[in-house]
Amino acid sequence: MNPWTHKTESVEEWLGLLRSRPELMENVTFWHTEPARPPRTVRLPDAINPKLARALSLKGITNLYTHQAASFHAVNQCRHVVTVTPTASGKTLCYNLPVIQKLLEDDSARALYLFPTKALAQDQVAELQELANLMEVDIKTATYDGDTPPTVRQAIRNAGHIVVTNPDMLHSAILPHHTKWVKLFENIKYIIIDELHAYRGVFGSHVANVIRRLKRICRFYGSEPQFLCASATIRNPQEHAERLIGEQVALVDDNGAPTGEKHMVFYNPPVVNKQLGIRRSSVLESQKLAAMLLKSGIQTIVFARSRVRVEILLTYLQENIKHELGTKSIRGYRGGYLPKLRREIEKGLRNGEIRGVVSTNALELGIDIGQLQACVLNGYPGTIASTWQQSGRAGRRQGSSVTFLVASSNPLDQYLIQNPDYFLGRPPEEARIHPDNLLILLDHLKCAAYELPFEEGDTFGGEKLTDLLEFLAEEKVLHRVGNRWYWMEQAFPAHNISLRSAAQENFVIIDQTEGHRVLGEVDRFSAPTLIHEEAIYLHEGVQYQVEKLDYPEKKAYVREVNVDYFTDANLAVELKVLHVDLESTDGPLERQYGEVTVMAKPTIFKKIRLRTHENIGSGPIHLPEEILHTSGYWFSFSEEEAGKRSANDMQMALLGLANVLIHLAPLHLMCDPLDIRVVPQVKALHTKRPTIYFYDRYPGGIGLSQRLYEKHGELLDEAERLIQGCGCLSGCPACVGPIEEVGLLGKDLALSLLQGTRASS
Amino acid sequence: MSGLRERLGRLRQDSSVNPVTPAQPEQQASEQEALSEGQDLPAGFRQIGVEQISNESGQFLLRRIEYSLPYRHGRYDLGELLACAPHLHPIAMRQNQQSEAIDIKRLLFLDTETTGLGVGTGNVPFMIGYGYYTDQSFIVEQTLIRHPGEEKAMLTYLLGRMKDKSHLVTYNGRTFDWPVLVNRFILNGWRRSGAEPGHIDFLHPSRALWRNTLPSCRLSTVEEARLGIQRGHDVPGSLAPALYFQYLSDGNPAHLHGVYAHNEKDILTLASLSVHFGLLLGGEGASDEGIEAAEGEELFRTACWLEQHGAQETAERLFALLNDMEEQGDGSGWSLALAARYKRAGQHDRALKLWRRSAELAEGSTVPKLDAHVELAMYYEHRDKQLIRALTYAEKALELAQRRARLLSDATKRKAERESLLHRVARLRDKVARERK
Repeated sequence: MNPWTHKTESVEEWLGLLRSRPELMENVTFWHTEPARPPRTVRLPDAINPKLARALSLKGITNLYTHQAASFHAVNQCRHVVTVTPTASGKTLCYNLPVIQKLLEDDSARALYLFPTKALAQDQVAELQELANLMEVDIKTATYDGDTPPTVRQAIRNAGHIVVTNPDMLHSAILPHHTKWVKLFENIKYIIIDELHAYRGVFGSHVANVIRRLKRICRFYGSEPQFLCASATIRNPQEHAERLIGEQVALVDDNGAPTGEKHMVFYNPPVVNKQLGIRRSSVLESQKLAAMLLKSGIQTIVFARSRVRVEILLTYLQENIKHELGTKSIRGYRGGYLPKLRREIEKGLRNGEIRGVVSTNALELGIDIGQLQACVLNGYPGTIASTWQQSGRAGRRQGSSVTFLVASSNPLDQYLIQNPDYFLGRPPEEARIHPDNLLILLDHLKCAAYELPFEEGDTFGGEKLTDLLEFLAEEKVLHRVGNRWYWMEQAFPAHNISLRSAAQENFVIIDQTEGHRVLGEVDRFSAPTLIHEEAIYLHEGVQYQVEKLDYPEKKAYVREVNVDYFTDANLAVELKVLHVDLESTDGPLERQYGEVTVMAKPTIFKKIRLRTHENIGSGPIHLPEEILHTSGYWFSFSEEEAGKRSANDMQMALLGLANVLIHLAPLHLMCDPLDIRVVPQVKALHTKRPTIYFYDRYPGGIGLSQRLYEKHGELLDEAERLIQGCGCLSGCPACVGPIEEVGLLGKDLALSLLQGTRASS
Repeated sequence: MSGLRERLGRLRQDSSVNPVTPAQPEQQASEQEALSEGQDLPAGFRQIGVEQISNESGQFLLRRIEYSLPYRHGRYDLGELLACAPHLHPIAMRQNQQSEAIDIKRLLFLDTETTGLGVGTGNVPFMIGYGYYTDQSFIVEQTLIRHPGEEKAMLTYLLGRMKDKSHLVTYNGRTFDWPVLVNRFILNGWRRSGAEPGHIDFLHPSRALWRNTLPSCRLSTVEEARLGIQRGHDVPGSLAPALYFQYLSDGNPAHLHGVYAHNEKDILTLASLSVHFGLLLGGEGASDEGIEAAEGEELFRTACWLEQHGAQETAERLFALLNDMEEQGDGSGWSLALAARYKRAGQHDRALKLWRRSAELAEGSTVPKLDAHVELAMYYEHRDKQLIRALTYAEKALELAQRRARLLSDATKRKAERESLLHRVARLRDKVARERK
C-alpha cells in the first residue's frame, strides 16, 4: 500500500490487508476462490468473409473463442441458436458474425435486434457501426425506439439493414404498422434476442406472445428468419429459448473466454443481540466494505435490493468518503433515473472518472460500463443466476476481482450464508414463462388480429384458438366472416397493453421545490407503498417528501426535505378462492392450486429513524383498493392440528411459518421476490381451517405458485432445516421473524406446527 | 385447469370490454324476410340507390349519384371549377415537389370512412367515396363492403377508378386516407409499383388561412364558415364506425343511411373547396366580398399564403388592403407583421409608415409594445444612418420597457429584453459621441 495515498496496487494486495484484520475476518463465513482461466480459442473459420476477417484483425481479433466459433457454425447449419455465456465473454460476436457475414453476401438482407432496454440498444449500434466502418462497407444500423426522431424513421424503415429495437417498440409501433416495414419483413434473415434471461415472468410471457405475432407477420411476407439468442447463465437456457420463440433451438454453452482469478467472500454481519437474534445492519456493513475498497482506489459496484436501499447506501457512502473522493465520483443508478443521467453515469464508469456506483439490478443487464474490480452485494440478490450476473460486473480478463455477499437478516440470506454448498453446488434457477396466461394471450390475440385477420386452422399459443376467437367475436372485438376473423373495433389494442407489468402507466414524480421538474417514475404497483402522501422518497441520495399524490392523474408532487427518517408502508390483503384446479392430501395437510381474487389496500405507513431503524411514528394511507385476479397455491392444517393450540398461538405459528416460506420460495423460482406473495389465515374463508396462501402478483398468474405447489415437500423440508439451524433463541428476523412480530414463542410454535405435520405424514 | 369456456366466462365478468348493444332480433327477421323474397339486396340499400357490383376479386356495393352542372353547393357552383381548376397547380407543386398541369377530368375527389383512428393495419376503410367531373356533371360514387371479406373487390374497383387520374383531392388524405389505403393494398398482397398519385390536400391550405380565425379546421367548420354550406341533420363522421359496427351486428342498412349522406356531402364539399382555392389563386376570389370583410389576421394570412404560391399580384393587393385598414385604425394590430413583410420585400417606405404609426400608438398605451421603437432604432441606425433619431427611439424603448415591467412580471424575458436595449442605447451613445468629435 502506498503510505501517502493509502491506495493499493492490486486487488490481491487489498485482500492481503483484509486477511490481516481479524475483526473483519471473523465475519467471513466462507471464502471461495475461482482460479484464473486461460482463453480457449480456434482460428477464424475460413468461411468468414475476407472483409470481415480484415476488420476483425484491425480490432485485434485473429482467433475466436470456442463459443463464438461454435455458434457461427451452428447458425450456418441453419438452426435457431441460443448461446449461454457469462458477462464480458465477447458474446455479441456470436450473433454479429453471422449477421454481418450475411449482409456482406446479400445487400438486401435484413436483421432485427431485440434488447430489453433502450440503453443496451445504443451500445450495440455503436459496436456494429465501428465494424462497418472498419470494413468500409455501407451497412446501415439504427436504433428504432421512442427516442428516434420522426424525420429519420422512414429512412430506417426502408433502408436499415440492421434495426435495433426493444420488445415494447416492436409490440406497439412496428408490428401494428407492419405495412410500413415491407422491406424489412420480406427480407428478414435473422432475429437477434439478447439478454434472453431477462424475458421471464410476466414480461417474458408477454414477449413470447409478441414473438408469436412477429413470426406471424414474417410468414405473411414469406420469410422465415433464424433466431439467434444469447443468455446469461440460467438452468434451462435451451428450454427457455424454445418456449420463448416456439421453435427448437441448438444450445452453445462452451465458454472459451478467459477470466482472471475471482474471489467470492460470504460476509455475515456480527450478532449484536444474541437474545433477539439481531445482527448489525447489512447496509452499514456493506457500506463499510465498499468504503474500504473505494478508499484504496479500487473501482467498486454495490448492488442493493431496492431503490430505497440504493439511495440510503449512496447517502452513507458519499458522506463517508467525501474527503478522499468527491461525491461526484460515487453515484447511484436505478430505474427511475432519467436516461440522460444514466448515460452520463455509464460513461463515467467506463472512463474511470466514477470510482463507485450503487445500483439496483438495473445494472445487472449487459449495459456497457466496462469491468470493475470489486462488487459488494448488499443482501442476496434473490437468485443464484442474478448473484453470478451481478458478481460478473467485477472481473477483468487479467488480474483478480472480488465479490462480497453481505447477508441481510432475512431468512433466505441466512440460509445461504450458513449453507454455502447450497449456493455453489446448485445450478442457477430456471427462467419460467407462461405465455398462455389467458389474459396475456387474449391481449396479444387482439393485437395479432389487428395486424392480420385470423383464419380457421391458424395457431397461436397453446389454447384452442377457435374458442378464443369466438369469445372475442362475442365480445364484438372481432367479426367473423366465413372461416376468417377480422379486427372490428375502433381501438388500437397495443396502446392499452404494456409488456412490463400489469400496470400500464407509471406514476411521474414531480419535484416542486423550485418550479416544476420531473424527477423520475414509479410503477403502479409500487406507487401505493412508495409514494403515498407523506412518504419520504429518495432520489440520488436526496430526501423528498410526497406532498400530494394525484392518483387518477398518476402524478406525485414532492418537495425536498431534510429529515432523519424514512417511511415504510403496510398493505392489508384479503383473499378469495374462485376455483380449485389441483389438489392433494398429504397427511394432515391439504394442498390446493387454483384461481384466486386478491384485494389489497395500503393501510398505514411507519416512520423509521435512519441508522438506528427505530419506529418513530406512523400515519394512515388513503388509497383505493387494488383487485387482482390470479392463480394461487395454499395448504391448510387439519382441524385436529388446529385444535392443539389456541387461536393466538396458531396465528403466531402460521405467521412465523409464512415468513420463512416466502423467503425460501425464490430458491425455486427465478422471479422478483415481490412477484410472489404470502397470506396466512387462522380460519380461511375457503377451507375453514388454518391456511397459508401463496399467490402470483400478476393478473391471471404466471406459473409461480403452480411451481411452488409442485415443490411443496422440498419447501417444507427447507423451512424446517432453516428454523432448526438458526442460532437465535426464540425467533429472529433471520428465521420466523422478530419477536415483536411473532411473539416470544413464535419460533417454537412454528417449528412444532411444521414438525407435527411432518411426523404424521 | 378449468375448461377454457368456463375460464373465459369468468374473465368476462370483470373484463374491461364493453359489450355493444346486442342485435335486435326483429330487425334481423325483417332483413331475412327481404332476402327470402328473392331480391338481391335488402330494401334499405335499394331505396338509396345502392347496387351490388361484381368483379374478378368478388363483390361489393356501389352507389352512384350524378349532379348535373351547374350545381350549387353553398356559395359556389361546382361547375366553376371547370374554369379555375388549372389555378390549383401551385398547391399540387408544393405538395408533390413536382406536378403536371391540372386537368379537371383527371382529378379524383376522395374521402374514406374507416373503422378506427390512426393508420395502423387494423383500421379498415369500409366506405370509399369518390367524386369526378365529366363534361356536364359531377359524379359521386360510394363503395361499401358488407364485411371485410369484400375488401379486395372494393380495392380493385378503386384502382380502376384511379387509373386515368393524376391527383387525389382530399382533406387530410395525404396523411390519413391514402396511407390507410396503402395498408390495405399491401395486406391484400399488392406491392407498390409505378408512380404514386399526386395529392391536392386542402387541410394544409385551410390551416394556413384559418388556423386562428376559425374555432377548428375540421371540414365541417370550414364549409359552414367559409363556403356557406349548411348540413342540417348530419351524422358526424366520428359516429361512422359505431354505426357500421351496428350494421355488421344486425345487417340493417338503415344504420348506414346517415353515413352515406355524410360521406356524399364531404365529397361535394371537397369540390366546393377546390373552387374556393381555385378562384383565390386565380385572382378572382380576392375581390370577393368575403375577403373584403375578412378580419386583419385572415387577410394577412391569405396574402402570405398567396405570396408563397406565386400569386404575387393578388397578394400585393391584399397587403395594400390591410395597409389601408391599418391606416384607418381598424386593422386590429397587424401593422407590425405587415411592416415586417414590407421590410423583407425591401419596401422600406411602407414599413416606415407602419412602424411610426405603431410607435405612436405604443407611446399612448398603458401596456406598450416596444417592437416598433426597436425596429425604428434599427432602421435609423443601419439604413438611414440618422444616429440621433436612432438613439431617441432606443431610449424611448427603454423607457417603455420600464413602464411595462411595472405591470407585467415575466422576469427572465424582461431581463433579457432590457439588457439588449441597454446594450443598444450604449452603443448608439458611443457612436453619436464619436461622430461629434
